[in-house]
Amino acid sequence: MEACLQVKNISKTFPGVKALTDISIDFYPGEAHALVGENGAGKSTLIKIIASVYTATEGKIYLEGKECTFKSPKEALDAGISVIQQELSIAPDLTVAQNIYLGCEPRKGICLDYKLMEKNAQKVLDEMGLSIDVKAYCRDLSAAEQQMVEIAKVVSKNSKVVILDEPTSSLSEKEITSLFRQVQRMKEKGVALIYVTHRMKELFEICDRVTIFRDGCKTKEMMIKDTNEKEIVANMIGRENLTDYYNRHKHTIGEEVFRVEDFSSGKLFQNINFHLNKGEILGFYGLVGAGRTETMEAIFGATTHESGKMYLHGKEIVFRKPSDAIAKKVGFVTEDRRRTGLLLEKAISENIGLPSLLAHGHRGLVNTKWEADVSSEYKEKLAIKAPDISSITSTLSGGNQQKVILAKWLAANSEILILDEPTRGIDVNAKSEFYSLMYKFVENGGSIIMISSEMPEIIGIADRVYVMREGRISGELEADELSEASLIGAASITSA
Amino acid sequence: MKEIKVKKIISNNVIVVFLVLLCLFFGIMNTNFFSSINVMNLLSQMCVNALLASGLSFAIILGGIDISVGSQMAVTGVVAALIASKVGQMNSLTALFILILSAIVIGVIIGGVIGSLIAYGGLIPMICTLAFLTILRGLAYIISGGGPIYGLDSNFGCLGAKRLIVTGNFPNGMIPTSVIFTVIIVFIMHFILSKTIFGRHVFAVGSNKNVAHLAGIDVKKVTLISHMLCSVTACMAGVVTASKLQNGQPNIGEGYEMFAIASCVLGGTSLNGGRGSVARAMFGVAVIAVINNGMNLLNISAYWQKVVIGTIIIIAVLADTLQQKRTQKN
Repeated sequence: MEACLQVKNISKTFPGVKALTDISIDFYPGEAHALVGENGAGKSTLIKIIASVYTATEGKIYLEGKECTFKSPKEALDAGISVIQQELSIAPDLTVAQNIYLGCEPRKGICLDYKLMEKNAQKVLDEMGLSIDVKAYCRDLSAAEQQMVEIAKVVSKNSKVVILDEPTSSLSEKEITSLFRQVQRMKEKGVALIYVTHRMKELFEICDRVTIFRDGCKTKEMMIKDTNEKEIVANMIGRENLTDYYNRHKHTIGEEVFRVEDFSSGKLFQNINFHLNKGEILGFYGLVGAGRTETMEAIFGATTHESGKMYLHGKEIVFRKPSDAIAKKVGFVTEDRRRTGLLLEKAISENIGLPSLLAHGHRGLVNTKWEADVSSEYKEKLAIKAPDISSITSTLSGGNQQKVILAKWLAANSEILILDEPTRGIDVNAKSEFYSLMYKFVENGGSIIMISSEMPEIIGIADRVYVMREGRISGELEADELSEASLIGAASITSA
Repeated sequence: MKEIKVKKIISNNVIVVFLVLLCLFFGIMNTNFFSSINVMNLLSQMCVNALLASGLSFAIILGGIDISVGSQMAVTGVVAALIASKVGQMNSLTALFILILSAIVIGVIIGGVIGSLIAYGGLIPMICTLAFLTILRGLAYIISGGGPIYGLDSNFGCLGAKRLIVTGNFPNGMIPTSVIFTVIIVFIMHFILSKTIFGRHVFAVGSNKNVAHLAGIDVKKVTLISHMLCSVTACMAGVVTASKLQNGQPNIGEGYEMFAIASCVLGGTSLNGGRGSVARAMFGVAVIAVINNGMNLLNISAYWQKVVIGTIIIIAVLADTLQQKRTQKN
């Protein structure tokens, strides 16, 4: 079989950093080729070079045997190289049809031919087996439907190469299944797929071949059927020993510290009842959209709720705004670092100090000494890799950014931490490190509520788990009852 | 290594370098530029814009804007003059009291209304203050009865027209009171923004509202107070101007918002919020004043000055955007 896309001896140097070293890969039509590696290993850089967002410092790219000399992503797109981004790039105020034909609208004279556009869009969606209204505005669609529109966009262009950059990061299991159906369809049509992911499970479900990156180099290329998860992970992190991945070890669980009764807010969540014990890691599992984040936001006082009571150490308490929760030593590590977690353009120390400025200030002035001391302390304790505490947080890797957010709440003396998808988008080593930090926290008497959509993570570290489904708690599982089957059973909607 | 450091210092302080070059240029073109009289003139010409920019920095760093500051000046100037005309004869202490108190009271009221509409009413700052630009201008004319309020006690000029320290070269005094007043206010505003917890909260809200909210910051309150500060300084600029003119004119400050915004931007304040400094905005104020003053000395028409200043603003913003892009890429 002849390769559809070849990258040959690609190197990329940014000022001061060598991001890629001598990468050569062949991508074949009808094959899903996975690129895996830790964050910063060079996958994204390679994708951007293929899509002509970056130009390679050295090396060449061949599309169907011809050398590519694209000057812009648009030219690459026109030649048949499409990218489906991790973050959706749909225009919310345009209709489905308008989005599908964005940038290549059919025309009648100088006017747009909306009729033809809608007809063609309908045809594409029908072929994909989707029932989405082409006239619907994209803002009214679910995240998964929006992604389907994005795929329809690619399908309509008859792309030869399709790059999927962590396409499942915001999808639920059910939505992933329908995504995979489309991926399968594209494979059958002979598209060469490049699939970037952090999720091992997906590799084995949908991919045929895998290339592993480490530190900007290609470490191994294998057929998926000839390998296993352990081998891939070992190649990614460059070591064999994975037994201590979750660092699970016994810790004492004490009396109840926090209880929520009958928490409800319209359609978002209803009748939430749960309790949290001292020293416990309490998991909240569920599909995306099950209402876990919304529940926690309301508990923290970031949003309002309609009814329900909360008890801290047995006493009833109300958090009207986040500062109330912070005053009672509750911290909230949100799921979206960039949007709700960090002041990206600010220094590490400013981020760490932010929730505690008032508590440590003196006559309204910022206590810069305290801020610097506490930041240095946590930079060391949490092993935050950065030149110093005045480094701008946007320059850190995902794992280190996550540590800064954790440090922010530890510096605020939190006793209860709510962690929402705390390891999303961070690499294997950083995850493992983050888990040990969580254990350290509960061993010192803290308690954790952890929302996670990753089953291995929930099973690996939670002491007890609540499962949510459609805004309600649909199950409570003890550690010894945890399994993929029991979690799915409680989380998914069965017709019964 | 050392070379990189020097480069970095220069690239971080382009505005300072630019200011020095401008001064040298005008100094060479016209020897009067560096004369003590002209320098004092220059400083007093900077006062109003410096006051406006110092408060506007808060609104802009917050991610918003206030384009009604010019109209706010007019309302306060007119009200202060009206009060002074009712009082009649007064000593300079009373005059000072009337001027500063009316600036604070009116500033808090106007800023309170604008800030509440933006913070609690959810209005877009641009549109909200655009409305106030015309509302307040109208009010200024209504209060003054359509024309200037004349016939004020000469002590009304104590904040804008008076000069202190009489020397041989300066029979009327050397340092204008307006300069002293402006330096004090600008210093206070710089202190609030850079040293206080409130100032830090302004930066946090401007960088990312969600993060600030979840860190326990009362985003709405910070927005409200920022707009109050912005309006109070604008109103102070208004009374300084009225005091300088020794009457209350409803047409003062028209178009001044542009110069104030430009000063902030030249000083590196990001219109997207989250970044900026009162002290740096003062370099922007100085650049604009030096261009105006220098071109006057060279007898270049005032119309050309407008063109030049507008062009420099575009270049400054463009340079800033390019630099941002470059640092992001790296």
